[in-house]
Order: sequence, then structure tokens, then C-alpha cells
Amino acid sequence: MNGYAGKILYVNLTSGQIRSKPLDRVFARENIGGLGFGTRIFLDIIQQNPDFDALSAENPFILMTGPLTGMHMDGVARWTVCAKSPLTGFWGDANIGGHFGAALKFAGYDGIVITGASDHPVFLFINNDTVELRDAGAYWGKDVYTVTDRMMTDLKTQSSGKGQILTIGPAGENLVRFASLIHNKGHAAGRTGMGTVWGAKKLKAIYVSGSNKLSVAHPARLKTLRRELKEIYEESIYIAALQSTGTTSHMDIGILSGDIPIKNWQMTEWEQIDKLGPVVIEEKIYAGRKTCFGCGVACKKEAEVKKGAFKMKKGPAPEYETVATFGTMCLNADIESVAKANEICNCYGMDTISCGSTIAFAMECFEKGLIDPEDTGGLDLTWGNARAIVEMVEKIGKQEGFGAVLAQGSARAVRYIGNQAAAFLTTVKGLEAPMHDPRSAHGYGLAYGVSPRGACHGASLTFEVEGGAMYIPEIPDLAMDLPEGSRDRAKLNVAAQDYGMFFSNCAIFCNLGGTPLDATRAIAIINHVTGFDYTLDELMRIGRRVWYLKRGFSNLFGAGVLEDNLPPRLMTPMPDGPTKGSVPDMNLMLAEFYEIRGLDNNGIPREKVLLALGLGPLANLLRGKD
Amino acid sequence: MGVFENPEKFEEILGGFFKLVGDTPLVADKLLTSGMIIRFNYTDPDLILVIDCSGDTIDVRAGDTETKAIVEMKMKADIGHKFWFGKVNLTMALTRRQMVAKGPVPKILKLLPAIKPTYAMYPKYLDENGYGKYNIHS
Repeated sequence: MNGYAGKILYVNLTSGQIRSKPLDRVFARENIGGLGFGTRIFLDIIQQNPDFDALSAENPFILMTGPLTGMHMDGVARWTVCAKSPLTGFWGDANIGGHFGAALKFAGYDGIVITGASDHPVFLFINNDTVELRDAGAYWGKDVYTVTDRMMTDLKTQSSGKGQILTIGPAGENLVRFASLIHNKGHAAGRTGMGTVWGAKKLKAIYVSGSNKLSVAHPARLKTLRRELKEIYEESIYIAALQSTGTTSHMDIGILSGDIPIKNWQMTEWEQIDKLGPVVIEEKIYAGRKTCFGCGVACKKEAEVKKGAFKMKKGPAPEYETVATFGTMCLNADIESVAKANEICNCYGMDTISCGSTIAFAMECFEKGLIDPEDTGGLDLTWGNARAIVEMVEKIGKQEGFGAVLAQGSARAVRYIGNQAAAFLTTVKGLEAPMHDPRSAHGYGLAYGVSPRGACHGASLTFEVEGGAMYIPEIPDLAMDLPEGSRDRAKLNVAAQDYGMFFSNCAIFCNLGGTPLDATRAIAIINHVTGFDYTLDELMRIGRRVWYLKRGFSNLFGAGVLEDNLPPRLMTPMPDGPTKGSVPDMNLMLAEFYEIRGLDNNGIPREKVLLALGLGPLANLLRGKD
Repeated sequence: MGVFENPEKFEEILGGFFKLVGDTPLVADKLLTSGMIIRFNYTDPDLILVIDCSGDTIDVRAGDTETKAIVEMKMKADIGHKFWFGKVNLTMALTRRQMVAKGPVPKILKLLPAIKPTYAMYPKYLDENGYGKYNIHS
């Protein structure tokens, strides 16, 4: 089937049974791929027993590529994972790049559905038609870098192509609630604790290699389009910025509008900000660049710290989000320490946004006297203490001392520290907010609030459109001149969710490398590859259905109207700076959003809305929830 | 019609502001370190302004089409005016081609932190020099 590998793997870790099923063409057309597949399969699996703990064997874990994954094109190397989140208790998903997704398709599989749990550590070995669960005793307890290197050596002779590894580190094994899955040491499925799900299932890693080829429906048309896109990419200053300094270019751009949270979201300006900017990064830690499969943008940077307290070997460099969480959020201007914290997070397998934000939260608790050195095991968690930050990252990964409290995430840590600490939280639905301030762009506030997985700038394309990186002239609500303030943000969010579900959840385009694409070109790419004849209306409808599925899962797991609000910290106006006095009007935006989306007073989709989208089974599960 | 009545008025106001920026060490020192030569090509009304930071002091020249600039910026005068209030989403303006920037991106990015203080300077400059009617904050 053009664009697809043609099979999905089903692995039951309890029984050890492994099956492969052909991908149904109608199913593919109706759901595209990625989370389009993931949400539908998740619904099928949980229908009989929707009430389960995220750390139980009943939590299905689904990894899916899209029809573009594995194509030699810019911005299409990504793939998705999903499960119930151990961090939030609601719907969880993450999106990741690198080479693993391509390798999985070359092995013949569009995705893997993992159910059950093993009673001992295992890893999944895939080499084309050879698929086996193997004992992972030799790798359990080892960090991500060690496992990646060792597994690559151990399995090389058994592989038909270059092997690719997706693994958890000690944080996943130790059930740190924001543990991530790491591929090739630096590509992370970071958010919502997908690595924790693996830890609970005792699944250490997946090794994949394959030697098949993917087919394209209209290669000549695709070639012509790629030639056209080459010029567009060469003219894009956004792409040029990614190529030259990676995502950290946002340190220079975001500070202009007050987008960068500083001191746990209490400041938007800081005289030391330049010490964390791309110029200093290049001078102090830059060590080269890498890229995802087939992508010429190459926004991934490498870092190295040759000496000093934060010495680290050449490896993945911190992205913007990481520089902000361990840097500005903690008032830490030492970029080498940020690189070290990033390395530890990668080695232990932890989400840098949740980890850094939770440490910033703890620093504020420390400052306000809610915790003291006795609680922290002697660590002086004062603002800007780079050594303490780095030490705490490691303690969290090990679940050691106070690290075990913070390993639960900031929202759960309040239960230990006390309710006064809730004032310092930056979470929505228990997920720590990313490093983009809704006081600088109110639509982000609504996006964080109604994101099914919690505060997240990747849950729709609101950040890309309102922030300005994307322009979709074919969709009026994504091309309008937005007035200042909160007006029209509900319409923007709805369109950015529907289109975003198609674009970056199902197709799966990269939210960075795919920014120069308008809808016409994005649709042309997917049609040329698959041979389907999707229209924008059809893709928006598919995207809408995926959004309602995700929303419905979070409703099913207990999220309601209260969980759509921003925490008080993000709703506190700044006394000065670029966002002076500005806070999102959440009441206005939520009311408009609920109306457009057809949500009831509890924030649950009305039955008729779900039925109109063919989501009767979800409606049945939600019946009675309101 | 746009904010500025004619090119002469626009040159008087923006050229004067750029000269003020050049005389303000907080900003000028960083611009001089960059050694950049930037040509602003404004339209509606049309104006070309070159900011030359390649010497010991910042030189502002109107109508200079000869000097080889390192960075070329093109935009409507109204966008340029709004920009100096900090009211233009730079990323969006570039994506939607309301601003077109040509030149080495890393060098352009390096300029951004340097010019941040000018956002506060521009409205003050307008008010203090008899251009208060152009101050969108007034």
C-alpha cells in the first residue's frame, strides 16, 4: 500500500504472544496514521474495561508512524506514541523524530500495539519478519546511552539494516512519572510519562532494523513538488534560523514579546538572558549538528563541555524548551549546567520540561520556606544554584531522597509539601506548561487549557499560527489578522486543533521542519505519497474526530470543566515588561470554545456531536459521565 | 493612506530615531560590535535608510543604494513604524512576508537582543520631539 508498510504488530507482554495484522486500506484512508490510528485502536482496546490505572497491565501502549514517515523529505520523520498518562491520569501522547519510525516501516510495520505487562525485563527485537521478545536482564538498570551503544553492538550481526533503538532509562524503570522514551540518545517522546508506562510493563527497549522499501503512488508528482519546496525552504528565514541555531533561536525572539517564562513564571525580563542565548551556546557548548531521517533542515544540535563541574561528552544539545526550564525558569545563567542537566535527563530518560519546571517549582517552595535543607537532603535549592539543579535532576532520576517527591511531578509534590505550594504550580491537568507564556499570546492560554493531554504547545497548531511560524491561507481562521487580547482565539484554537490533528498527529509532519507548508502543499504531499485523494474538508473532519477522541479519553479518565483552567500563576499579570497587565480572558475563550465544540457544562462532548463524527462507541463510554 | 504623509516626514522621523539609537551606548555598542550594514527598504511612502555599523560610530544614510549591505530588510512604512513600538510579531511578519529579510540569519538573530531597548525609546522619542501624534500609545 503506497506510503504504508502494510502491517501492524500486536505484542502481548503478559502472554508473550506476537501477531502481525495487515493494515486495512479503508482504515488507513479513514484515519491516515499516527494518532489517527492510535486513538481508534486505543478505543477498541479499552471499550470493555475503561477503568484502569496507567501503571497497570491494562494500559495499552500504541506506537504509530504516519504515511510520510520514512520518506526522503524535509520534516516528515516523525511518529507518535500514546497511552493513559501516569503523570496526569488522563490521555497521554507524545511525538518524536529521528530514524526509528523510518526503520520500523522498512522492517514492514506501520506501528506496534503493546498490551499486558511482563513479569521480567524484556526488549522487543524486530528484524523484518523476525519479531521476538527477548530477556533484557543485561540492559535493565543501565542508562539510555549505555543501552543504546551496547544493544547496537550486541545485535548488529543479527540485523539486515542499520539498527535503531528506542529505550527507557533508569527513570522509566523507577517509575518517575514523567519518564520519557529516548531514541538515539537525544530524540525524546518526552511528555506525559510514556517511559513510565514501559517501566511498569517491564519493557526496556525496542530494537528495529529493516530492509524493505516504501512505495509512493505518484513519484513524478512528488519529485516536482519537492523541487518547488526546495525554493520555498531556501527562502524561509524560520528554517534558516533552525538550521543555524536550532530551536534555541527562540531565546532571542521570544524575549522580545515576553514569551519566555523566567523564575517560575514570575518574570519576563532578565538581564542575564543573553548568557543562555544562541550566541553563547555556539561559543561555549556547540559541537555539531544532526538531523532526523531524510530531513535537510537539521535543527538538532550537538553539545560538549570539555572541562569543569558540568563536563559532558559530545552528545545531544539542549533544545529551547530545555534551556528555558533549567535556565531561565531556575534563574540559572550557566549554559554548561543546562547542557549537563539535559544529558542527565537523556541518560535517565526524563522529560526536560516537567523535570526543569518541577525543580523551578521546588526552588520557589524553598525560597518561601515551605521546604528546607532538611527536606532536600542538604541541597541548597536557591535560585540560580546550578550545581543543586544538576544534582537534583539526578536524584529525581534515581527517586532518591527529595528527588522521589519531585519524581511524582509538581502537582503530586504539592500533596507532600502542602497546599500552600499549589500557588506555585504551572500545570494544567497535572502537566507542567511548556516555555511559552500565554500572557504574551492569549490563544496559548486556551490551547493549554483545553489540550487533552494537559498544558502543551504541541497539542494543536495554535502556537505555530498565533506565534507566527505558520500561515495557512486556505483556512480563514488560521489566516486572520488577530486582534490584540483574547477575541477570536476560540475559533483559532478549534481550527488549529482540527488541522493540527491532521498535520502533526496523523500525517505526521514536523511542527518545526513543516512550518513552510501551506495546506495545499501539505495535502498534495500526502496525496502524492498515498494515492488517496483527500480534500481539505475531509482532512479537517478526520482531524476533528481525532481531537474528540483524545478529549473524550481525558473526560473518560475524569477530566472536566475544572481541568480546562489555567493555574493562578499563569493568570497573574506582570507588573512590567512586554506583557505588562496582560492575562488571557479564559472565561470568554472557554465559553466560545465550548459553544463551537459542542461541549456540555462539564466539558464533555455532547452525544450528537460524537455521533455525527461516527464516534458512537466513545459516546457510549461517556454516557453517564455528565 | 498610511501613518506617514510623505517620504520626507518619514525620513525626518525615522532617520532621527535611528540617529538617536546610534548615539545611545546601551544599543550602539552592541550594534558596532556586530559590524553590520543594514539597508531598510520602506514602501508607502518609499524610503531607503542605511544603518552602517562598520565604523567607529553608527552612520545613518538616507537614499543610499550604493553601499553593499550585509542585511536587507523590506517592509511597508507602517509595519516599520509599528515594529519600533515592539508591536509587530516578528516571526509572523516574516512568515507572512510583511517583512522580508535577506542576509545571514545568525547575524540577524544576534541583533535582536541588542535592539530590544529601542522599543521603549521610540514612543519617548516621538513625544519629546514633537511627533506625539505618531505615538500609538498616546
